[in-house]
Amino acid sequence: MTKNNYLKEIAKSQKPFIIYKSNKGFDLYTDFSKKIILSNKNIKNFINNSTKKKTKNKETDLYIGFFGYEILNNLIDVKIKKQKGLKFPKGIFYKPETKKKLSNKLNYKSSENLKSKSTFNVNLNKASYKNIFNKFKKKIKSGETYQIKICTKYRNNSKIDALDFFCRLTKSNMAPEAFMINDKNYSIISCSPENLITKNRNFISTKPIAGTLKKSKKLNKSKALSFFKKNIKETKEHNMIVDMERSDLSKICEAGSVRIIKKKIVEEYKDLYHYVSLIAGKLRKNTSSLEIIKAMMPGGSVIGCPKISTLNLLNNQERENRNIYTGSFGYLKFNGDMRFNIIIRSILNYQNQSEISVASGVVIDSNASHEFNENYIKAKALIDLYR
Amino acid sequence: MIYIIDHNDSFTHNVVHQFSRFGKVECDNFNDINETKLKKSKVLVLSPGPGAPKDYPLISRIYKKYKGEKKIIGICLGFQQILYCEKGKIIEQNKIYHGFQSKIKVTNKSLLFKKGQKFTVGRYHSLKLKEPFFAKNFEITMRCAISNVAMALENNNEKIYGFQFHPESFLTENGNLLIKKILSA
Repeated sequence: MTKNNYLKEIAKSQKPFIIYKSNKGFDLYTDFSKKIILSNKNIKNFINNSTKKKTKNKETDLYIGFFGYEILNNLIDVKIKKQKGLKFPKGIFYKPETKKKLSNKLNYKSSENLKSKSTFNVNLNKASYKNIFNKFKKKIKSGETYQIKICTKYRNNSKIDALDFFCRLTKSNMAPEAFMINDKNYSIISCSPENLITKNRNFISTKPIAGTLKKSKKLNKSKALSFFKKNIKETKEHNMIVDMERSDLSKICEAGSVRIIKKKIVEEYKDLYHYVSLIAGKLRKNTSSLEIIKAMMPGGSVIGCPKISTLNLLNNQERENRNIYTGSFGYLKFNGDMRFNIIIRSILNYQNQSEISVASGVVIDSNASHEFNENYIKAKALIDLYR
Repeated sequence: MIYIIDHNDSFTHNVVHQFSRFGKVECDNFNDINETKLKKSKVLVLSPGPGAPKDYPLISRIYKKYKGEKKIIGICLGFQQILYCEKGKIIEQNKIYHGFQSKIKVTNKSLLFKKGQKFTVGRYHSLKLKEPFFAKNFEITMRCAISNVAMALENNNEKIYGFQFHPESFLTENGNLLIKKILSA
């Protein structure tokens, strides 16, 4: 384990770096020898070539970074009309030369006082949210989608110390897929709980979350489970995601090998209970990294179902670029192994603007005001970091 | 060979894996149908998918062309496509079933399954068949145990079968058995 004052050093050095949750603590990657900005032109070559490299299985024989939402749509031939928003890159990957292990307790405090007084504005008010909501409900009735997630964005003007934010976030919300990127002109902080791809040799798994419950004194794990089981709406949403992820895995796995390893269990986090399933399969021989990514991304649980028609409905509706939101962060190892999450519960800071995107699902029995407020609750944990 | 036509659905590959237990399967998107594979196939499977049968005129043409020549199996949207081509009306239902597990029962019209037998199945549909429905050689052979909505069809003369529910869903018990029976029928 590396000493904690390493964080101070790395912050002072002004070097770009990435921190990603590991099993026991965190891994820090830095000393980047390459930075690849992705475009529709180079993405396929990047994915395929990055995993065909000769490797001595060094810990840094990998590319780490993210795919944004738009480039993942384009990769599966789903088009998005011109949208408003920050002109943020569609995806960036780095080749690190240094990897350090850190403990779960990240200690670092910003030396500057960067508290922002600028308030957050939401891009959709309740009325226009309701409007979209009702439109999508009609689409559910006519069978064009079974479940769809409307994204709302909260924005303010702010300069942030990303490492300071991330350290505080991991204290309040430790999440198994948490990560941060700190580069010269942007930063990302996320407490994502959701793993989309874990691939080791020919074994691949995905761990969708559908169903979240805030902890309270009256609740324990088994009460949370019976809440989820009794709640028909949560159960139906979860079932749909399980069948969708089984199908996505089946595109690239040997027939008959896809199994639900954990079926609708409750996992306990610091402030939340999540309703999760773990689905896994055995990859078909010679499945390329590109095929894996195209089969699984963008992650279904944050889009809706069925994926393609739902993406098209969303993209016709949303006027603003989702940027990193519902994209994926993770790494591609030179030997072909990979790990990717779904980017949710995140802050993107770019050009002195912070952007927090959240979404919640419309199924036939959901209620617009409830979901609108749910969105705010999801954003609040991140907005609180600015206080 | 079993040829599955995918209507861009997020459950199709579960169908592919399920049918692969019983024979060689090929699967293409409905926008990208391979004529050679289509001609060569012994069984044609119409996958689940979004929207309504009227949105897929090409599939209606294919159905009419191969009806009686090949075994045709429809699942969810595919089930509705068969009914639509047989002049059935597909309408929105008040209660919508997406990710819903429910009980269905076999009617006395079925030749393949035992009358009165109940199955627990997974359902993903907002549309249903408007009844009464009559078409030569077609029988509604399973129904929702509560609402009586049509859940399966059999045409044992021309070997056409369909399920409104999803035999490939993890919510369906004995789904493999259902497919095995209609494939060997």
